[in-house]
Amino acid sequence: MSPKLRPALLALAALAILPGFWRVACALPGFGSPVSPYGQAVNALLPEMRRVSNMVSAINFDVRGFDTIGEEFMLLAAVAGTVLLLRGGRGEDRADAGGRIGGRAIVPRADAVVLICRICGPFTFIFGVYVALHAMATPGGGFQGGVVIASSLLLIYLGEGYGRWRQLVREPVLDAVEGAGALLFVAAGLLPVFLGLRFLTNVLPFGTAKDMLSGGLMIVENAGVTLAVAGGFGTVLLEFMEETRATTSEVADPDDGRTGDRA
Amino acid sequence: MTLLDVLVPFPVVLPLAVGAIVLALGERLPKHAPEALGIAAALAVAGLSAVLSRGALDAGTPVYWFGGWEPRPGVTLGIAFAPDPASAGIAAFIGLLFAAALVFAWGFFDEVRSTFNVLMLLFLAAMQGFCLTRDLFNLFVWFEVMSVAAYALTGFSLKRASLAGALNFTVVNSLGSMLMLAGIGLVYARAGALDFEAVREAVGRAGHDPVIVGGFCLVSVALLTKAAILPFQFWLADAHAVAPSPVSVIFSGSMVPIGLFGFAKIAVQVFPGSPDAGSILHGLLFGVGCATAVVGGLLAWSQRHLKRLLAFSTIGHIGIMLTGVAALSPVGLAGALAYLVGHGLVKGTLFMLVGVLLAEKAGVDELNLRGLGRDIWPAGVLTGLAALLLGGAPLGLLHGGADLVSAAAPDGLAGWAMHLSVLVGTALTGGAVLRFAGRVYLGLGPDPGDEAEAPTDEEQEKADRPLWLMLAPCILLLGIDVLVPADLAEHMAARVLPQFAHLAAGSVAVPPPTGWTAVEPWLALLGAVAVAGVALFRDRVPRILPAAGGMFKPVVAGLNRLHTGVINDYVVWMALGVAMFAAWATF
Repeated sequence: MSPKLRPALLALAALAILPGFWRVACALPGFGSPVSPYGQAVNALLPEMRRVSNMVSAINFDVRGFDTIGEEFMLLAAVAGTVLLLRGGRGEDRADAGGRIGGRAIVPRADAVVLICRICGPFTFIFGVYVALHAMATPGGGFQGGVVIASSLLLIYLGEGYGRWRQLVREPVLDAVEGAGALLFVAAGLLPVFLGLRFLTNVLPFGTAKDMLSGGLMIVENAGVTLAVAGGFGTVLLEFMEETRATTSEVADPDDGRTGDRA
Repeated sequence: MTLLDVLVPFPVVLPLAVGAIVLALGERLPKHAPEALGIAAALAVAGLSAVLSRGALDAGTPVYWFGGWEPRPGVTLGIAFAPDPASAGIAAFIGLLFAAALVFAWGFFDEVRSTFNVLMLLFLAAMQGFCLTRDLFNLFVWFEVMSVAAYALTGFSLKRASLAGALNFTVVNSLGSMLMLAGIGLVYARAGALDFEAVREAVGRAGHDPVIVGGFCLVSVALLTKAAILPFQFWLADAHAVAPSPVSVIFSGSMVPIGLFGFAKIAVQVFPGSPDAGSILHGLLFGVGCATAVVGGLLAWSQRHLKRLLAFSTIGHIGIMLTGVAALSPVGLAGALAYLVGHGLVKGTLFMLVGVLLAEKAGVDELNLRGLGRDIWPAGVLTGLAALLLGGAPLGLLHGGADLVSAAAPDGLAGWAMHLSVLVGTALTGGAVLRFAGRVYLGLGPDPGDEAEAPTDEEQEKADRPLWLMLAPCILLLGIDVLVPADLAEHMAARVLPQFAHLAAGSVAVPPPTGWTAVEPWLALLGAVAVAGVALFRDRVPRILPAAGGMFKPVVAGLNRLHTGVINDYVVWMALGVAMFAAWATF
């Protein structure tokens, strides 16, 4: 298809879609009309039934918890796929040193950066844990908390350099955390099955509303999501960072190997 | 809660759990443990789904509300699985196909063993969920898990071509996913629910409602993109040609066909009350199905890259299934389901047999491989048998399905158009495979000379795998297809259909054979043998035959030129496809 024909055909398609689009748009519920029946029902029922104040978590982990299992494993598949493609494409010949663009100077890390990272890193980590733990009470939850936790790992690289980051953030550990988190979610679903109930039925005590430990089984599921997301994002960050390493053939100067962590 | 109810979530949960365990333990597992666990899980899933199918046939379809969220008056909040006999039966077949593909792949992925197995297990779980769910959004979730796993598996060999193929696949199918999500949003805006039953009631109340029709069109486009129906089929050949053979087995044998299965399910379980959806299905998609069958057949016939040949033949066969669904008769739908399983068995086998060639002979070019397959003649025998089955031989499950599809043809001109396109599609694809079997394993056909040196990439799959281990799953799958008597297949399909399509029990009667149904398979087979014969014995047949074949060459060359491999073109075609739906629905 020639580059000229392409936009012409696309315009033709748009022209043909337009009347149908218009009819659908006119028939949709009006802007600002009452919110969806689903949301109304959830808001009316769940605070009473599950004693949680974050309705998004209640939908994610309880009412439609089975969707969340699917999404959890979708993330797992995406991470596994990223690892497969990046690691395979990269090969095994990566050196410890960072890849360099010719002629660009390596600037040593400033003390201020090290200091800020050492202060912010642990706090970011704790904040991630906080967001994850308070999933039932305040906005946030395992997905968000897990991502924050994984990002805090990146501050180790920024503050301590590549070598230390690789020493502290180990790939088999991340894999184990990711797999164990996903497994925990599945195990939470199976618990009620052993009690003769449906998969994912909320069998644990619900606690009191606005409490960190409200929501019953949702707490366990949320913990599983936190682990899986933290492990998964950690793995992806690790793979992305490895992409920045020089190949062994590029490392001519052996000194570079030691100072490479400044790259 | 009966024992059967307890089993309902396990076809999905079991492979997910095994996948998570394999990921968590990773390299600490003994060498072949991930593969063995994968095969065991796939077999267990096949068994579980088969038990569910059987149980539902006897005791009615169970409805399993996750988390115990049963509908309350006026509002359905929870997600349900409804393993009716047909859906669970398809799910059982998928488990079996995965087990066969994983046995075939034994030793293939030693370098990245656990990652490959994790992805395959998630792929399997997603397909099970896709088949068993009765919730629109949950369907979308499993559709996405399936896609994400498939994208990574396609690009597996990391060559330029495989990454390009995976990228085309990813872009086109992700666009489909977005349209699906938009469509689900439209349906939800009107129905206020996601559960199939609840939505069906709302659709029935809505009548001629543009929002519902818009939702149906968008969801259909997404599912038909996965099913590689014209003009959404462009990604398929690119992806199938470059994916590792065990993955192509799953793609052609189950992923693409269950796109069509999902579409059929949505059409009969969610939108039967919408007259506009019915008109699109019976009018527009009937014609599109016929066109897909013919175009797929022509393109398959014109290939010399064996994986592309099989990929295009899959498009043709899915087109035939779509005509069965679009004929809007229960018999046609039953036929499409039986055809889906039979086709999956045969096409899965054929992709494995091409995988054998890739492993043993390091090539997939038909002309290049001429006569080189003589020493692995058992593979040749199986290829020949599979070609005959694909070409309509009146034997086994695939034939049973084809028979029912053909019996569902409407009266008059439309019916003859359908018969003709099914016949052409079947004969061309069967003939193409037969031609390749004759050329590669018997060394028939004219010496290609310089033409053999095709500008193809260097392609080889992991060698040194035992031949018997690669052929055993082929024999198993073909054996199942052949040993199921066609009339039994017909009766089973008709028996499982009422619960799938919400019809009264016993309302689907297998029509008595007519003169045409007796003649059609033989005509198709004759056509397939003729197509192969003309290509292989060019010098010894009357000269008029090759000349007649040559007449189609410009058409086929034109069709081939449309498959540019340029993603921009594919997106434009997709937009034109959406426009086709929109125009049909509006005017």
